Amino acid sequence: MPTPDHILVVDDDPDIRTLVGKLLEKNGFRVSKVADGLGLRQILEKSQPDLIILDLMLPDEDGLVLCRNLRSRSNIPVIILSARGEDMDRIIGLEMGADDYLGKPFHPRELLARVKSVLRRARTLPEETQELDANTTYRFAGWVLDVPTRQLYSPKSKKIFLSGGEFALLRVFLNHPNRVLSRDQLLDFSHGREIEPFDRTIDMQVSRLRRRLGDDPKRPALIKTVRSSGYVLAVRVEQGGDVHGTDDPGSGD
Amino acid sequence: MGVAQDKIVVRIDEDLAEIAPGYLENRSKDLEQLPRALVEGNFQVLRTLGHRMKGSGAGYGFDGITEIGRAIEEAAKQEDRAGVEQGIAALASYLSRLEVIYE
Repeated sequence: MPTPDHILVVDDDPDIRTLVGKLLEKNGFRVSKVADGLGLRQILEKSQPDLIILDLMLPDEDGLVLCRNLRSRSNIPVIILSARGEDMDRIIGLEMGADDYLGKPFHPRELLARVKSVLRRARTLPEETQELDANTTYRFAGWVLDVPTRQLYSPKSKKIFLSGGEFALLRVFLNHPNRVLSRDQLLDFSHGREIEPFDRTIDMQVSRLRRRLGDDPKRPALIKTVRSSGYVLAVRVEQGGDVHGTDDPGSGD
Repeated sequence: MGVAQDKIVVRIDEDLAEIAPGYLENRSKDLEQLPRALVEGNFQVLRTLGHRMKGSGAGYGFDGITEIGRAIEEAAKQEDRAGVEQGIAALASYLSRLEVIYE
């Protein structure tokens, strides 16, 4: 019998913890419930959940900061469940690396469907994409992306933070340099992981990635827009080598 | 002589039969805590309680609680005492008239 997936619910409202916990347990998941960021850290010290459902308004920490920290050091999928349901809140949540965002109040079955969907997507990636470049270091235009650590280094060896979505997108570009990729292809190649299936969000992710790479949005040199077609990473890409061989990541932030 | 108000019949998923009574009990406790916070002028507590009701009510199947919570949260944000009082009265009325059918 397979081990049930372990879901961690982080919410300061005990009624929400009860509702979500009951829903998930009834559907075969193993559930841990905590009320704040401290509880989240304690769970992560002793186990690795398969997915985290995260409220944003926690008593001790900002859920967005927690989400960003989580994404910078692990691949655990995150669904934000928050009463902050404005478009901008959703966009910021996704940009901080959340895999999905559901506003409160919510229908329990919708949450269940999203949990299953995110878990499915998270599992697709290792089998189909991650094998190809899981241990790779990419070098392009003086930049270095170390896939195993998800760390990007600038030409001046400074560590650059990437959200989950930005990392996934850059990885797709680096896998297909000098090739025009449509928005649909960007979604397909990334298997939808950490990128929302809306054109506008792809455009925003590209825009943010350009900023991370210091690319002038009016005259981008690295990720160029191809009118009516999509985007292309117009640069020579090399793979392999030691991250620290030419760069000194210790000088980063 | 007052006019008896109609019952509010809410049909919810039987999967929630085990936890919905506890949820409603907690709202009854809110009915004790809300007036106390109002007397103390503690609008932060009022806002938090309203916010939680707003976020949880419809998930349990009680859309009315979500609406009342939203009204209390908004009134508390504005430090609108009369608005909070109306919200408390609406919650008391809702809970007293509620009839839950699990199906």
